[in-house]
Parts: sequence; structure tokens; C-alpha cells
Amino acid sequence: MKRYILLIIGLAMTAIYLFPLYWMYLTALKSSTEIFQYPPTFWPADTQWNFLEVWKSRGMGRYIWNSLLIAVGVTILATTLGTGCAYVLSRVRNVWIEIALFAILMMQVLPSSLMVTPIFVMFNQIGLLASPRIAVILAQTAKVLPLYIVLCRATFVQVPRELEEAALVDGSSRIGAFFHIMLPLARNGILVTSVLIFLQSFGEYVYARSLIAKNELQTATVGLQTFMGPNANDWNGIMTYAAIYVTPILIVFMLLQRRIVSGLTAGALK
Amino acid sequence: MQGIIRTIRDGSGFDILLLGLALLYLIIFSAFPIIYNIIMSLQTVDMFTLTSFNRPFVGLQNYYDIFSQPVAGTIFWNTVKFVVLSIVFQLSIGFGLALFFQQDFPGASYLRGLFLAGWIMPALVVGAIWKWLFAGDFGVINYALTSLGIADDRIFWLSDPNVALYAVIIANIWLGIPFNMILLSVGLASIPRDVYEAAELDGAGVFERFRSITLPLMRAQLGAVISLGVIFTLQQFDLIAALTQGGPADSSNVAQYWSWQFSFQTYEISLGSAVSVLMIIFVIVVAAVYVRSTRHEHSY
Repeated sequence: MKRYILLIIGLAMTAIYLFPLYWMYLTALKSSTEIFQYPPTFWPADTQWNFLEVWKSRGMGRYIWNSLLIAVGVTILATTLGTGCAYVLSRVRNVWIEIALFAILMMQVLPSSLMVTPIFVMFNQIGLLASPRIAVILAQTAKVLPLYIVLCRATFVQVPRELEEAALVDGSSRIGAFFHIMLPLARNGILVTSVLIFLQSFGEYVYARSLIAKNELQTATVGLQTFMGPNANDWNGIMTYAAIYVTPILIVFMLLQRRIVSGLTAGALK
Repeated sequence: MQGIIRTIRDGSGFDILLLGLALLYLIIFSAFPIIYNIIMSLQTVDMFTLTSFNRPFVGLQNYYDIFSQPVAGTIFWNTVKFVVLSIVFQLSIGFGLALFFQQDFPGASYLRGLFLAGWIMPALVVGAIWKWLFAGDFGVINYALTSLGIADDRIFWLSDPNVALYAVIIANIWLGIPFNMILLSVGLASIPRDVYEAAELDGAGVFERFRSITLPLMRAQLGAVISLGVIFTLQQFDLIAALTQGGPADSSNVAQYWSWQFSFQTYEISLGSAVSVLMIIFVIVVAAVYVRSTRHEHSY
């Protein structure tokens, strides 16, 4: 009996916590007069499906495309550079590795909003701002790479050393052992970590806002911010935009929830 | 040449190559910008000298200029309030939820996982949603507060300078709860059950058990979560951009947003650099303390 009372309290707390999400979807489905009703309604009286309209009128296709492009670019670059580094950090132990690991942990915490000033000036001087999406990819990779390395390292630590040693004894080269033994065994962790940094880069705002000048190259976050403008009134449309934007993120998250949680906690506390 | 190829294929060259590539990248795009930032904070950098490599050196003038700004005091005090209040509430609510979901009931771990939905969403979108929740005339929060009798009148959360900062803090607490809860849950799960059972046999009540078992055994975890909280709170930018943009009249402005405003809105880039240098130093100190404490724990 006590377990069911706890369940009900648990459900209530989850519902309260997730209320903002419910309110986003609800507002998206209400009509533009209903959202300004006071007292507000908690279920749409006259459900509106204006997703396609908002998608078209706000040019969301282009924004989402730019966000995707940046997120894919960051993920490819970070996994290429980070996986091998994470592997070495998990296998070799000496004072230099300790120093490298410490430096990487320090770089993990640098806030984008503070790093963007020197990055902007530096990229401007070497002409990188002429291709602003690449500039954002480079800057955002520097931001997520340390996190990727730390989380991936935790995965490699769990792969038994003996498996790799056995392959080396059988005459495999280091490169061969890395690609044929280590990578397949650490596949899950690498996948989850990549998804994590992909989602983070998909919602990136500071670098896109500061390094991209042209509207047609902007990301979905900046598109939403422009939509919200100083005297925003179209909350119906804004919440529809938000719902279109975050629903895929939430679906990916729900599918990988358990793995993301375990990967994240392993990295942050070890 | 042959030797180099062999060491990369089969020796320590392989390790050095893999490590070197990532580190080189981080040095170019992370470590160098920090050094460059420090240099810029000692120069005059504005629209005219932006692309120049030979800028006038002004010493500590920029730092002096920052602290002599009339709003400097407000902004640094806001930053302190933002960090401290966010962490106190994120931590206590997160800890409470972690303790609650630690109990044995159907679906506990599934429900706990649902909370992370708040953490995975882009902070800018979270800001947009909260902006609508906080809306003065038609906002659902004002409706709830007035109909429950907590507030007499509508609160203009985002346009009243007395409450704008607290509105941002509330939204930030919402964002931070899941992370705190999950990390603390991991810690709670690692406390052996029989410790509690033994204490219960000795007649210790719920609060006694919490005070004498849970808290001391969670000390390292709590330390880690607090340092991570400071770090994440100081990274928060998107939420402020979506909710108040530091306004009205800098009443909800914090240092990391202020730095960005100097660089990208008024183009006083060297002032932006100076604020940024100060904050980066602070973040790195906090992070170093955190890393040292987790390393220390490993040696047990």
C-alpha cells in the first residue's frame, strides 16, 4: 500500500516538474485568442494544428538545417579527435598523462559566453568569419571535446586490458588492436557520448549568435530568439516553434534515456 | 622514416599521435584564446583596432574602467546572488527528490529519468517557455499565485527591476534540478543498505539516520555537485538572453552576460575581455578545487 502512495506522490512531483513542457505543447495547440484568456484554460477548447504554417512562415527549414549542419560537423570532428585521445588517457598512466587529463578537465568548464570574445577577434583576424558556420563548428568543438574525452575515457577504462594484450600477443599491431578490439567494445559508450554532444551542439546559441552575421546561415536557437523579439505577442507561434524544435530532441532522449544517465554519471564522478 | 611509421603503427608513437591531435586542437582553440584574451584585456580593442595586430597597450586601464562603471557593483552582486541562490535551491530540491526516488516503489527510476527532459532541452528554448509562463498579464504563474492567494496582484516578473533577477534564478533552478538529482542519486545508491539497518536496530530515527549516515557519507558527492553547480551556473547565458537580456536597467544582469554585451553590443571588446578574464580565472579555480577533491577521493 505504501508503495502506491509513494508512486502517486512521485507522479505528482514529476507532473509539477514537467508542467512547463506541457504548457509549451498546450499553448502550441491553442488558438491565438484562447492563449490570452484569463483565467487560462488547461486543455485546448479548439485544437489548432498550425505546425506547418509556423514552419513555413518562420523559415524553420533553413534554421533547423543550419543547426543540424553545425551539430553534425561538431560531432564528427569531436569523435574523430576525441576517441583516440580518450583511449590513450585510459591506458597509459604517468605524470604527463595526469597533467594532460587535468588540463582537459579545466578546459571542460570554460563558459562559451566568456570564450567567445577572444575567439571572435581571433577568427576575425584570420578571416574565418567569412565561413561562419565552420567558425561555429570549430569553436563549439573546442567546447565539447573535453567533455567527450572525459566521458569516453570512462568507457575505455571499463574495457578489460587483457583483451587488447591478447590481440597484441597474437601479432596484431597497435592500430589493428585499437580498431578491431577496442573500438567495437567501447561502441556503446562512444555512441551515447556522441549523441550527447550532438544534442548539445544542436541547441547551441552563444557562438551562433556572435559569429554568424547573415540571417540565412543562422541556427534554430537564434531563429527562436528573433521570433521572441522585444514586443513578442505571438506566443502561440513561438511555442509552436519551440515544440517543433525540441520534440525530436526529446524523442532521441527518451529512446536513449537509461544509457545517457549511466554514461553521464560515470564521467562526472570518476 | 621507416622507424617513424613503425612507431606509429606499433609503439608509443601511436599514443603520442592520438593524444597529440586532440591536445593540439585544444591548444589552438581553447588555450590560445585564453592567453589572447589576457593580452587583449591589457590593450585597447574596439571596432577600429579589431583586425590590427599592433594595438595600443594600456596596462590595467580596462580593469580600472570596469570597476569604475556605476553598474559594476550591481552586476557582481547579482552574479553572487544568481550563483548562490541557484545552487542552494537546485541542491536542496535535487537532494530531496533524490532521497524520495531512492525509496522502493514501482516506476521510481523511470520517473526519475523523466526529470532529465528539462536538462536535455536547449536552454534558449527553456528560456522561451519560462518567458511565457512568467508573462505579466496572461502568464500561468501569475494565475496560479493569485488564485492560490499567495500574491495579491499580478507580478511583472520580467519587467519589474525588483524581481527580474529572481525570475531568471527560478528558471535556472528548474534547469539545474535534474542534474543535481541524478548525481546525488548515484551517491545515495552507493551507500550500503546494512548501514541503515544497523542504525535502525540501534533505534536511530529517520532524521538521526540522515544526519549521521547519509550526510557524512555523501560529503564528497555534495562537494562535487556544488562545484559543478558553480561551474554550470556561471556558464548560463542562453536563459538570460531569452528571459530578460540583463534588463530592465541591468537589474538582472550577471558578469558572463555583461562581458558579452561589452564585446558584441557596444563593441568595447577590451572591456569584455577584462570581465571575461576575471570570470575565467574564477571558474578555473573552482574547477581545480573540484578536480583535486575527486582525485583525492580516488586515493582511498
